[in-house]
Amino acid sequence: MSNPILDSEIRLWVYRYFADTGRGPSPVEIAAHFRLTPLQVDHALERLETEGHALVRIPGSSHIWMATPFSAVPTSFLVRSGTRQWWGNCIWDGLAILGLLSLDGTVSTACPFSGQPLLVTVANGGLVGSPGIVHFAVPAGDWWRDIGFT
Amino acid sequence: MLLFRSEDDVEKWCDHRRISRGAIFDLVRLWRLACAWYDDRLDANWRRRTILERQAILESVGFGGPFWRLTD
Repeated sequence: MSNPILDSEIRLWVYRYFADTGRGPSPVEIAAHFRLTPLQVDHALERLETEGHALVRIPGSSHIWMATPFSAVPTSFLVRSGTRQWWGNCIWDGLAILGLLSLDGTVSTACPFSGQPLLVTVANGGLVGSPGIVHFAVPAGDWWRDIGFT
Repeated sequence: MLLFRSEDDVEKWCDHRRISRGAIFDLVRLWRLACAWYDDRLDANWRRRTILERQAILESVGFGGPFWRLTD
């Protein structure tokens, strides 16, 4: 049976977990924290994904893949601030992590065609320089059709 | 959403991948979008923004027209 208040608490806890640790919590960790059964966690994560677009699970799995802008798996967008680090799902999300956490830091990536490393720096709440150019391949109306490709 | 060295590299990448060129813009605009789009994710009372609210954020940073039209 759904419990919107509990779902909301799980969503917030997952996001804070990403923010604090740089990784996503496993379903077992969520179950232990909220004293739920694995099946209850599965159902809650499914609702958060399908009804709320609050997170994305790895296809065929109950493990969290994305809680945008955070990624639970390594990507081409490594975000660093001091000794802390996170993975962003794309350049948009990489920047969003620093914005969301109000942190100075960097997003390191590389040009997908040339392979040239590109380092984007945020300091004092703004960009320092503007290396490279951003390309959105997918129209906004299709972003969620295949969020992994998007 | 990828970051390229140059517009020329975008064109070559699209040709190589046989996909249509999408929207191209600079990081300054993306930074503004990133901050506005995700600023609520650590709110305890978060709810998914309505399509009108999300469209308004896109338009607030200058993203209008068919490419930026959202669907639910």
